[in-house]
Amino acid sequence: MADTTMGTATGKRPALFLRNATGLVKAWSTFDAFIYSFWSINLITLGLYGMSYVYWVPDGQLLAAIVIFGVLTTFLVITYAMLVSVMPRTGGDYAWQSRVLGGGLGFVLSITGWWFTLFLWAPIYANILNVQFFLPLAYTLKWAGVSTFFTSQTGLFVSCLIVLAFVSIVVTLGMETYARIQKICFWIGLVGLVVVCGLLLFASQSDFQNAFNREAASLFGASGNAYQSTIDLGTKAGYTQHNFGAFSLGPVFLLMPFLAFYLLWPNWGATLYGEVRGAKDIRKPFWSMFWGLWVTIGLVGLVMILIVKTMGWQFYNSANAAYYNYALYGGDATPVTTWPYPVMFAGWLVDNHLFQALLIIVMGLWFFGWAGTLFLSSTRVIFAAAFDRVLPAWAANISAKRRVPYGSLVLMIVPSIVISAVYSYVPKFQSVFLDATAVLALTFLATVVAAIILPWRRKDLYDASPIANYKVAGVPTITVVAVITAIFLVFMLYEWSFNSSNLYGTSFQATLNSVYYFLATYVVAIAIYVAARIVRSRQGIDLRRIHHEIPVE
Amino acid sequence: MPKVFFATDLHGSEVCWKKFLNAAKFYDADVLICGGDMTGKAIVPIVSENGHYTVALGGEREAVTADQVGEVEANIRRKGYYPLRMSVERLHELDQDPAKRAECFQEVMLEGVDRWMKMAAEKLRGSGIRCFVCPGNDDEMEVDDVVRRSELVELGEGRIVDVDGFSMISTGWSNPTPWKTHREDSEEELGKRIESMASQVSDSSHAIFNLHCPPFRSGLDEAPAIDADLKLMHGGRALRPVGSTAVREAIERHQPLLSLHGHIHESKGAVKIGKTLSINPGSAYEEGMLMGAIIQLDPKKGIKSYQLVNG
Repeated sequence: MADTTMGTATGKRPALFLRNATGLVKAWSTFDAFIYSFWSINLITLGLYGMSYVYWVPDGQLLAAIVIFGVLTTFLVITYAMLVSVMPRTGGDYAWQSRVLGGGLGFVLSITGWWFTLFLWAPIYANILNVQFFLPLAYTLKWAGVSTFFTSQTGLFVSCLIVLAFVSIVVTLGMETYARIQKICFWIGLVGLVVVCGLLLFASQSDFQNAFNREAASLFGASGNAYQSTIDLGTKAGYTQHNFGAFSLGPVFLLMPFLAFYLLWPNWGATLYGEVRGAKDIRKPFWSMFWGLWVTIGLVGLVMILIVKTMGWQFYNSANAAYYNYALYGGDATPVTTWPYPVMFAGWLVDNHLFQALLIIVMGLWFFGWAGTLFLSSTRVIFAAAFDRVLPAWAANISAKRRVPYGSLVLMIVPSIVISAVYSYVPKFQSVFLDATAVLALTFLATVVAAIILPWRRKDLYDASPIANYKVAGVPTITVVAVITAIFLVFMLYEWSFNSSNLYGTSFQATLNSVYYFLATYVVAIAIYVAARIVRSRQGIDLRRIHHEIPVE
Repeated sequence: MPKVFFATDLHGSEVCWKKFLNAAKFYDADVLICGGDMTGKAIVPIVSENGHYTVALGGEREAVTADQVGEVEANIRRKGYYPLRMSVERLHELDQDPAKRAECFQEVMLEGVDRWMKMAAEKLRGSGIRCFVCPGNDDEMEVDDVVRRSELVELGEGRIVDVDGFSMISTGWSNPTPWKTHREDSEEELGKRIESMASQVSDSSHAIFNLHCPPFRSGLDEAPAIDADLKLMHGGRALRPVGSTAVREAIERHQPLLSLHGHIHESKGAVKIGKTLSINPGSAYEEGMLMGAIIQLDPKKGIKSYQLVNG
């Protein structure tokens, strides 16, 4: 029963005759996958939060750094799109690494990133929820009790629990429902962003200074010229003023590890793209990730230019420097004692607290449309490891009625609660959380190394893939782009680990707690794998053969 | 203690079929079971013109010489498609005439299955390894006859067979799909089809239900949601259970030792439904990768161990 033909790009001749068969679907929407990628490098939640640290490199040209980061991350995007094309629906980094690098190495490197490190992201998400939603809303509505609560350690811990509860609900609802929620959040959030940009575009810097002084007094009880006081406190906190337009290549590269906090994740959904009809077309995963990355970069550039125009570059950096000096190091109190949230500041251009609160709520959708996917990839990696019998079978259990993956959820939620408590109540462990980006970058690096050697290590898979014909000077393109990506990742990993002035708060020499923690996670991962090998061997199961290829001839 | 190797949904991938036959030796298995959907979904025309051939696979059309065409054909078979050399006139004829296209499809599919049966005979002859095949909903009915004629491969469909002391029932029929494939039943009819075999199994604790369609809401039946236009929804992230309620009811009622499923390639897994271990090893035939399950059966313990593998 041959009932369908499929044309080529030229459209004149059929390239393929299809018959009715299960699973022959028409291509999925690149736009849907773009939304996922766009959310993964969320310019409001992660972006504004991550860029609040760039004052540490005052002579770095932020826009240039963002563009260069985008160019380099495009190589990461190409690498992952090619891996999707060679091995689709495989469970992501874990499967790619285990198939190319080996089962044990794949387990240890991916599980430390996608399982153990994702615990750390729960309190990071909670902190963002606090400073971008609960606190600005409470201050705007003058709910003193609420703002006091959420600035306390217990308030932060409760915020962590709220994030974990939200993620659990989303997982329980299922991805289909959440995808709908994401789309709603996407469009309403975009409207909010247009309003923020409009306010910044049509206001002058003096308008902003007046608005800032007015609301700093009204909401925070500040007196005098709060705008100038903030700049003075920034200088006192150690921020050295530089022009926004000044360019110097070295500092630009030093900004990269800060930008990685939000811009390194356009491939977050690469593991979810699934079986793509039409011979595993590389273009769909590539374009969805590419546009996710570059639309974000475009919007970040626009938002930053508007911030510089209306708020002032020195004010922006000073406000961040002064706030962190106050909040983390016990420096002088800032006129506005909460995190300098640009959205809240933009709302102050309208002298109406109800409007300001509404804007914060609308922009809060950038958080709720994004946060639900916190553990999605983690649960998939746990599933894959359980199917491979490295983890117990119950880790992949799904409830019959609501299809809740309760086994993997428990494995994520319970440790996350413990880690959240540590984050909230033991400040000296904060450097561990700063490493959350670095460890995921290390997991990506392992995948990138797998991509480099794929054409030789898994020649069979590579030769059969649509990318086998892509070569640069005779060298497989996947190897070339993966090498460039690897250099980029190694550079950032080096800076995170060994920066002599501990610029990122993660240098080994200054953060021994962090080093011990992450070493411990690798030891635990190795121990789990070794234990699984022994236990399964006694059950007559040889874990080594999971990915061993059966001879064809 | 029979060791079973189960794989499914090879969809015409010749590399996977060869791996399937070699899996017995590779994993030291005594019994091979192919769960269905053996035949491919597409014909890739290799068009002869002006002294060379043109073909389009996964991208732009490219020209290949007569020397290269064998390699191209092997690559096409590897992905589970059928390569077919033809003239430009024949290409247009097939494009414009659905009946001729259907006839051509059946011809290449049956020829492919026949070639696979011969490969099996060559590989397994004298080994003592039993090999069962149960065509799935994507396989046309005529496939059964080709399997029946096979020297060594045993047809599972609609039968109760003894596997070293374990009774196995098989069907490749599924509940209705949006594609209206060759072996689809209403849930009620599918239930009757399964029950007609299951009711004859005397000892459930030594029974294997080889049912192509996975049980509903088992976690083995989650397929990407599609809209009325067969377009993937939400970037392929939204999953829906599409398994059979009749299969689930049969498993819950009879509680066999083991149930083997396929049909939903993305839904690899192993779950317990009451006393039954239900397995869907998934399928990655397009990659030339054989996803399978090794199950070590024990007359006393039932299932001694199981493992999902990517060979």
